[in-house]
Amino acid sequence: MSTNGGSVISDQQSGETAGTPERKLTLEEVRAKLAKQKGKRYWRSIDELANTPEFQEALEREFPQHASEWLDPVSRRGFLKVMGASLALAGLAGCTKQPDELIYPYVNAPEDLILGKPVYFASAFPFATGAVPVLIKSDAYRPIKVDGNPEHPYNQGGSDPITQATLLDMYDPDRAQHVRYRGETRSWVAFEAEFRAMLADKKASGGKGLYFLSSTVTSPTLARQWQEGQKNYPQAKFVQYDPANRDAHYVAAKQAFGDYVDAQYRLDQADVIVSLDADFLGGAQFPGFHRLAKDYASRRKLQGNTEMNRLYVVEAVTTATGFKAEHRLQVRPSQVAPFALDLAAAVGAGNGAVGYNWTSHQATYLQGLAADLKANAGKCVVIPGEYAAPEVHLAAFAMNQALGNVGKTVVYTDPVNPMPSIQMDDLKSLVADMNAGKVDWLVILNANPVYATPTDLDFVDALNHVGTIVQLSSHSDETSEVAHWHINNQHYLEKWSDARAYDGTVSVVQPMIAPLYDGHSEHEILQSLLDNPDVSPYEAVRTTWKGVVSGGSPAPQKAKGATAGAAAAAADADFAWRKVLHDGWLENTAYTPKNVTAKVTLPKAPAPAGNGIEVVFRPDLHTYDGRYANVGWLQEIPRPVTYLSWDNAVQMSYATLEKFGLAQNAAVKVSLGGKYIIGGALPVPGQADDVVVITLGQGRSTGRVAGGVGYNGYLIQQSGGPWMQPGAGVEKTGDIYDLCVPREDYIDQRSVSHGGDGSGTHSLEGNESLDRGIIRYASLTEYKSDPGFANQGVGHWTPGPNESMFPAYRYDKNAWGMSIDLNSCVGCNACIASCYAENNIAVVGRLQTKIGRILQWIRIDTYFEGDLAAPRAHFQPMTCHQCENAPCELVCPVGATVHSPEGINLMVYNRCVGTRFCSNNCPYKVRRFNFLLYSDWDTPSLKLMRNPDVSVRSRGVMEKCTYCVQRIEAVKIEADKDNRPICDGEIRTACQQACPTNAIVFGNINDKTSEVAKLKANARTYGVLADLNTRPRTTYLAEVINVNEDLAKELGEYRA
Amino acid sequence: MPQIFDRSSNALARMSLILTGLLIIALGLTLDALQRSPWVTRQGQRADQPVPFSHKHHVEGLGLQCQYCHTTVEESSYAGIPPTHTCMNCHSQIWTDAQILQPVRTSWETGKSITWTRVHDLPDFVFFNHEIHVNKGIGCSTCHGRVDEMPIMYAQNSLQMEWCLNCHRNPAKNLRPTSEIYNMAWTGASELHPVWCASETVNEGTPTAESVTCTETRPKQGVQMADLSPPLAGFHAQTVGTALDSQNTAPVELPAGLHYTRFTSQEALGVFLIQHYKIRPPRELTSCEVCHR
Repeated sequence: MSTNGGSVISDQQSGETAGTPERKLTLEEVRAKLAKQKGKRYWRSIDELANTPEFQEALEREFPQHASEWLDPVSRRGFLKVMGASLALAGLAGCTKQPDELIYPYVNAPEDLILGKPVYFASAFPFATGAVPVLIKSDAYRPIKVDGNPEHPYNQGGSDPITQATLLDMYDPDRAQHVRYRGETRSWVAFEAEFRAMLADKKASGGKGLYFLSSTVTSPTLARQWQEGQKNYPQAKFVQYDPANRDAHYVAAKQAFGDYVDAQYRLDQADVIVSLDADFLGGAQFPGFHRLAKDYASRRKLQGNTEMNRLYVVEAVTTATGFKAEHRLQVRPSQVAPFALDLAAAVGAGNGAVGYNWTSHQATYLQGLAADLKANAGKCVVIPGEYAAPEVHLAAFAMNQALGNVGKTVVYTDPVNPMPSIQMDDLKSLVADMNAGKVDWLVILNANPVYATPTDLDFVDALNHVGTIVQLSSHSDETSEVAHWHINNQHYLEKWSDARAYDGTVSVVQPMIAPLYDGHSEHEILQSLLDNPDVSPYEAVRTTWKGVVSGGSPAPQKAKGATAGAAAAAADADFAWRKVLHDGWLENTAYTPKNVTAKVTLPKAPAPAGNGIEVVFRPDLHTYDGRYANVGWLQEIPRPVTYLSWDNAVQMSYATLEKFGLAQNAAVKVSLGGKYIIGGALPVPGQADDVVVITLGQGRSTGRVAGGVGYNGYLIQQSGGPWMQPGAGVEKTGDIYDLCVPREDYIDQRSVSHGGDGSGTHSLEGNESLDRGIIRYASLTEYKSDPGFANQGVGHWTPGPNESMFPAYRYDKNAWGMSIDLNSCVGCNACIASCYAENNIAVVGRLQTKIGRILQWIRIDTYFEGDLAAPRAHFQPMTCHQCENAPCELVCPVGATVHSPEGINLMVYNRCVGTRFCSNNCPYKVRRFNFLLYSDWDTPSLKLMRNPDVSVRSRGVMEKCTYCVQRIEAVKIEADKDNRPICDGEIRTACQQACPTNAIVFGNINDKTSEVAKLKANARTYGVLADLNTRPRTTYLAEVINVNEDLAKELGEYRA
Repeated sequence: MPQIFDRSSNALARMSLILTGLLIIALGLTLDALQRSPWVTRQGQRADQPVPFSHKHHVEGLGLQCQYCHTTVEESSYAGIPPTHTCMNCHSQIWTDAQILQPVRTSWETGKSITWTRVHDLPDFVFFNHEIHVNKGIGCSTCHGRVDEMPIMYAQNSLQMEWCLNCHRNPAKNLRPTSEIYNMAWTGASELHPVWCASETVNEGTPTAESVTCTETRPKQGVQMADLSPPLAGFHAQTVGTALDSQNTAPVELPAGLHYTRFTSQEALGVFLIQHYKIRPPRELTSCEVCHR
């Protein structure tokens, strides 16, 4: 397959690396090596197992790779400048005079504003799969933190990385700042005049030739505006298209129920959960994620009981959900549908088996799963994946029906989308109309179709046949370049709107700040279609809910006379409206289950593809379909499973990688339908063979952050099968594509006598996760017979409190501690994003991330276990453990890291001189060093975003998790003022607040009634590396997995 | 070969050694002095302000209370700078043509802030909180000096870390009853100005500020004050003590049943207040995270 040119380059490369030891363990050898290992064997990357030269080259060092080396290109002038500045600062840093600081007081202070005290507002983040109800922390009316609304019944305070990062999205300095016409700045009034003139023209023809193309609508008001507008313009068309749409579900729902319905799963009721390619723990991409994650974890807490749910995942793409599963089966993408149909047949819901030729492993799995489902009829649930074929959804409907789950673990409701549609069909007909020259005006609302549409539709070409193109979007993107009018829109934190959460509850989106760049919203544009075009979005939203929000003031006055009655009613409505704004949602708007029965005739399974390469497309877990690609936090935080940061990769199994003669970071050309993309190859554990996973949402051509990151997967996406295509060509180009995978490995160089294995071929973490019990877990059976398993056995020893040469610190009042439940953690990264926002953590960029200078204070370590091709994985959030015997404190020469009377390892930035001894001495490697000046000190919009209670760190300063000490101090001051002790749960760290599964609990361990103290008393609690006598304040609750013992025996899984 | 160096060079060499040593010491002392000097700390310096606002005139002369302008001092980390509106409350009526008030009127007309230069400017890595200080018995004048005697505002103290720590290590010497927080003339308890304090039992949840009743004039003991209505919870002595001139030594009628102690030294008063205001011990007050985050 490879071309001649490719092999030449590849020869050169092998020449370059000739000096390094010969690696090339084949897959068989790696497997053989694994098979020899006894007991639970953990590893962190395939490099480690394969013993690659890269892995050999890496040395155990304070920072992995080249973090502490000066690699940055620097000019002579730049060098002199830096040196000059250093000399000038040397020794005089403390003597420099502060510049004068100015105070700009208000002219008229807003009522009730207390500067220095944050105010919280409820709102909602409208997302394509349903709104995320949020509570926004506002400092002097600047939103500075977005979190889930803790009182909302849907997410109960949980959030996800995208929701967290919408904050940075709003303050993004790259946002479009003006209305533009053909590239020139114009006023909104000018656009409005032209738009309305066009509307007046088209009034007679009923709006013929006027088309709207919008991203998925979740706003009932927008839907109302369109539906009313359509009365005036019956010929106008409104098309919704999101690349990550719900077409498969809606096609199936229409077929099974005759109507569009949404499925809500009640995982708190489910003993057995089956995911058919559904990444329902992956993030907000999955409809209802927040509730699903919370309910899933609520059945795994093991508090006072030994009842647990069990998760089966059958998937074509390795996901975090798959790694949380007790029993995971990887299949080829084309096998998901046959598997679903066969499973339906096996539980008695189908038309009989489709006669697929399963391997014995797959067949055993299928039968075992079917048996478990049947045994738990009414207490199980089958969840189909959003990107799976409609047949999978049909099979899931049929199975849930047949197993009696409907009404118990799954309910069907009206769709969250007020105007549900089969988006791909609509898009195709739109493109057909465009090509036919029927489209005079195309108004694109919050979408970027030039970038994010399947390549075979050739949207750019179709745009040539359109009269006037208008685009409303937050950024000047690929589509803006061809649009005639570009309207800068309002971010959801700047506008009035409304949206439904996945449970149907309506939230009002209220502005947190005046639009930074005078943006405009889609409500204003659609309102122009109505008879009263000048109604503001605020009025429009109120009009929508007029009938629902009314009455109910606490002391209704008996009004006399009609006018007074109307006034009282208006006052009542105002009061009710204020309550809605206060609460963040409208009461009693959650959907009630629809009484529908699935009438499913399961199709004969589609013929499985042959032996060709199958390409799977998935939206990026962080940048989604590309709309959040310019958000630095989301780019930088490593994705679950792949640990990719600032990149997307061509993901494939290790065997497939070898099959094409590739290695990690080899550039690979994937061609489909005559188009191709080139990306870096990345082996992913647990991926089915002969499958290539393409991630959408990168490869943007605009944006200072997004531009040039990764490849654009849409370039080979086909409208005929947007999520899976057989028959792809995979070709080695011979070039190198250096992927950004900031995984940290420390080679275990210790000799046998010092606890290592002397080979120097394994990562310290990989070895120690077993030897030193970094990861400890047991099956439910083992746990029942021995609840204290986590603290027994070799390497699981924790020294007693008095085993030290030094007297212990005393903690009189508060002793802060944290407990992280590894059973609940689903590795979604919400905590990391929340930490970025709360602690003003700087984004360091791709190169700096790659060389190990990423500044995240909390990371999620993934430990793989077992077979290379079908591993299990364990997620472990890792942050500063606030050791009571902290190794870092002892070695700081300037006293910059010291112990607080409440047990926190303080980091005093202004004292730090950057020796990095502390980081060197930290066994957990959780200290982060500012090698360069990463914080953006100049961009005005970013200044507004920062948390005023946390220092913005400069270069040369060590930083780390502080248990959100600013929050602790704020509560302490309030409690001291009020003369009361701090209540349990009053202080919540940022990571805890964001966690959708309540895996993180923080509190005072001196208070034996606190939740954290109770968790720490749990037998499952263990400290990582506690045998060093660091006495970590952060402890973990060991994982317990509810293995299906019979199935495990048959599959040969979970050997002790 | 003749000697190159005369014998006297020995003395010169010794001298130069000593001189070098002295020079180094002198340099160190100079830098140290520089670091503490008003040039760096801006202690005592009058910044150029758009309006030569006189605290002396407004506080001492007119008797404005601190919180009239610095409204959030008791409830926020930030005491607050008054909005132009506050100035215009009076200056739309009086001194409406005064030239020096032109920036205020301009601000009012244009809606643009008056741009003040910060006088008490802490580094950005220091997180000072007003509310806890005023609620725990540190008065305005302890840090800001006799603002009522400052025609132009300046920083009375260096605001350097050692100065902060002086008090955080031993708060007793600066504590005063919360009733005296805004009393600019407060000098602490002494033989000449004894202070009588009585403690009241307060429940958890009631601010500690309400746990002590103090007066600068000798309370009349044992008088039944049942008719004193309403019984003032958290008796704030500005209703009693401050308005009285020094000649008036007549015993003041105070709630009965309280046992007053006469304090003639600030240390003793401080210790009493530490106990009743539940001031954290120095070990906690001097922990880094109290000010640096």
